[in-house]
Amino acid sequence: MILRTQAIGKSFGSVLALREVSMGVEEGQVTCVLGDNGAGKSTLIKILSGVHRHDTGAYLLDEREVRLAGPREALDRGIATVYQDLAMIPLMSVWRNFFLGSEPRKSFGRFDVATAKRVAREELKAMGIDIRDVDQPVGTLSGGERQSVAIARAVYFGARVLILDEPTSALGVKQAGVVLRYIAAARDRGLGVVFITHNPHHAYPVGDRFLVLNRGTSLGEYGKADVTREELTALMAGGAELDQLAHELRRDA
Amino acid sequence: MKRTLIAIALAGALAGCSGGGGAAGESASPPAAGSSAAQPATAEKYAVITHGAVGDSFWDVVKNGAEAAGKQYGVTVTYQGDGDPGKQSQLIDQAVSEKVDGVVVSMANPDALKEAIGKAVAAKIPVVTINSGADSAKAFGAITHVGQSEEVAGRGAGEQLKAAGVTKLLCVIHEAGNVGLDQRCKGAEATLGGTVERLQVDVSNLADVTSKVTAKLQSDKAVNGVLALNPAVAVAARDSIKDSGSAAKLATFDLSGDVVGAIKAGEILFAVDQQQYLQGWLPITFLHLYKTNLNTVGGGLPVNTGPGFVTKDNAEQVAKLAESGTR
Amino acid sequence: MTSATADERLNDVGLVRRLLIRPELGAVVGAIVVFAFFAGQSPVFRSADGIANWLDPAATLGIMAVAVALLMIGGEFDLSAGVLTGTSGLVLVTLATRYGFNVWLAMAAGLVVALAIGLLNGLMVTRTRLPSFIVTLGTFLMLQGLNLGVTKALTGTVQVSGLARAPGYEGARAVFGGTIMVGGTGFRVAILWWLLVTAVATWVLMRSRAGNWIFAVGGNDVAARAVGVPAGRTKIALFMTTAFAAWLVGSIAALRYTSVQANIGIGQEFIYIIAAVIGGCLLTGGYGSAIGASIGAVIFGMADKGIVFLNWNADWFKFFLGAMLVLATLANRLVRRYAEEVKH
Repeated sequence: MILRTQAIGKSFGSVLALREVSMGVEEGQVTCVLGDNGAGKSTLIKILSGVHRHDTGAYLLDEREVRLAGPREALDRGIATVYQDLAMIPLMSVWRNFFLGSEPRKSFGRFDVATAKRVAREELKAMGIDIRDVDQPVGTLSGGERQSVAIARAVYFGARVLILDEPTSALGVKQAGVVLRYIAAARDRGLGVVFITHNPHHAYPVGDRFLVLNRGTSLGEYGKADVTREELTALMAGGAELDQLAHELRRDA
Repeated sequence: MKRTLIAIALAGALAGCSGGGGAAGESASPPAAGSSAAQPATAEKYAVITHGAVGDSFWDVVKNGAEAAGKQYGVTVTYQGDGDPGKQSQLIDQAVSEKVDGVVVSMANPDALKEAIGKAVAAKIPVVTINSGADSAKAFGAITHVGQSEEVAGRGAGEQLKAAGVTKLLCVIHEAGNVGLDQRCKGAEATLGGTVERLQVDVSNLADVTSKVTAKLQSDKAVNGVLALNPAVAVAARDSIKDSGSAAKLATFDLSGDVVGAIKAGEILFAVDQQQYLQGWLPITFLHLYKTNLNTVGGGLPVNTGPGFVTKDNAEQVAKLAESGTR
Repeated sequence: MTSATADERLNDVGLVRRLLIRPELGAVVGAIVVFAFFAGQSPVFRSADGIANWLDPAATLGIMAVAVALLMIGGEFDLSAGVLTGTSGLVLVTLATRYGFNVWLAMAAGLVVALAIGLLNGLMVTRTRLPSFIVTLGTFLMLQGLNLGVTKALTGTVQVSGLARAPGYEGARAVFGGTIMVGGTGFRVAILWWLLVTAVATWVLMRSRAGNWIFAVGGNDVAARAVGVPAGRTKIALFMTTAFAAWLVGSIAALRYTSVQANIGIGQEFIYIIAAVIGGCLLTGGYGSAIGASIGAVIFGMADKGIVFLNWNADWFKFFLGAMLVLATLANRLVRRYAEEVKH
């Protein structure tokens, strides 16, 4: 596996945000991390992307244990994260955003603007993303388009693992479908994708492995063959609790 | 949206074309709107450029003097004031570009204005300096200087205060960076024979002046004299003395209606009057005479407008005059 | 899709509109309106002499406005920039006149002091995460007190003067404070410095990696950091840039007027911001233009001097200046909104 965690845990002061979570992702596969709000998904991503360091357990890249110093190191090792707020600057153009932090250089430290524009356009096309004008500010793109630019950016910069933090949560049905298509495209290009979401209906079609988190711990890690969509939903929502609730909510006959 | 845009552009252009007949002819003819006084259109124009901030009660009297003289002789007088020597220098440059017939300048910072005045002199524009910078006037090429030596006036004030029994004096400086005010305190220090302490206040915040002076009077009971350098500050200081119940004697530089009233009421001992009205009036007179008759005044020496002292004896008569802004 | 075929979704956006949508062109319209207004009424205003007159304040204001604009694009404010011009000038003149420094050496010392203060501002803002408005307000007040206190302590008066007698004066003056004759009219060298600063700043913004980082850090600081942009270093560099500009302007003034008053520069800090805003900078950061800020400075210079040329009553001066500025900014805003509207 490219990326793997072994019983990883993290506390913030007295709060145990994450405990005993084991998961992994392979090349060319999608691992979905599911869980309701407050399940510990964002803590997990922050550990995977280098923002936080884990307190217990092990974080393995290519089967070698690591402690990432920061997001920059994660990026350098090929772990690209696309956050909910997209790490995009709305007022800046698509091509500027595309190369932000990794600008191509000419002699004398100049920013190679021509190359940047050309590559941005080409890469977006290669992912099947049809952006009208790479000069337009990112803020004028639709939600789905912004996500796709972020994904194309990660793919171009040689990411081996792509971590997506709730990419479809704020999108409508059609747009969500578009994003799922790009996730599949990234997977097909050989990346390992970690897809975090609280919507099992989005996760199921595209996922190969599923990790369900609840209140900071893992309820299990399943392969696609081992679980159905309904079972996933039930697991996530705390099936037993929902049954009980349904009972309470029933009208009196 | 488009229409608003076109409207604004048109308004700008129209205002540009129509603005009071300045378009044709030389800059000497004044525009109809917003001119400083109703002047008959003549060829003579004089620019008064001082270091006084706009709205300052002292410099306002200078402005009135200059404008009255302009009316009297039927010439155009413009007044500009800026405490920043750089900006003042630029205003002089502008006056030279406009080819005025004479420039009146107050030099709080002579070095900074040297170049600009030099340009005016090189362009054969006569320069009269007023108020400050008497020492450099001749060297810079001014035809005369009209004013009151700040240090001499300060000495006069110091003598009067000494005679009134002041041993520890609070000298209230209301404009940081104003060299002339510093010189007044220095002069008073030289003749007082006692201690002089400087207190920094901000003339644009008079309530602050009162509270600062009050605080000083309350904390240091040895202070038995307060010297204000500005009429507004003097009035604020008078309130301080009342508030703190101090027996300190108060004197000030320069007049205003309030100050004269306070002198009459015995609240202020005396005011050092440099008769700044003359610092506006006389230079215009001199420049007009120079233009029409090539006269020079003073024989190389400055023309002194003060110090005059306004005390309880002459306060009554001066009061009436101060109210009309001529003293 | 080849580059030769036009995308049917891209409206045939006229060249004019595409030009107007740039942050600075709105300011150009404002400048043209202001120029037309004054030039139409005052022949001196539009004469070579007059132009030299109003380009002069535009130049020194422009140098500061460009630096402040860069910082604003980066999402921060520097209220101490105005006072720092005074500090730099005071250091220069004091060292050269009272301690016998060569003028060039004194200037270098002034630069070190200015950059140190810029560094201090930058470190405070990035480490404490306090709003830069507050931090630099504090620096502003401290410098104001220092300027006055140290000057008084060293010289006993509120100004230092006599630079003309210091060694190296003539050369330094020619480079920074001198005049160039163009066809019989004298133009200040400061204008050249201003144009140079504007050109460099524009190049940095548009064609360098640092420029990309500046836009990013101002647009969304968190996002920028997440992709590895060195946000802290960028902001510190920006504060040191405004400090450098303050040193340049302070030195130019000191060399020209051979003296510095302790209260120089106070009150100017908001004018720099206004010029930058007229030029298209957003107060919230992430957007703006160095050329626009320069044009804002030109508008200011024209209004400042134009009012004098028209002999408007000095008492009403500030009112007219404020009105001019509001109108110029409005014109700027209207033009940009028109440019961004979709054609129906």
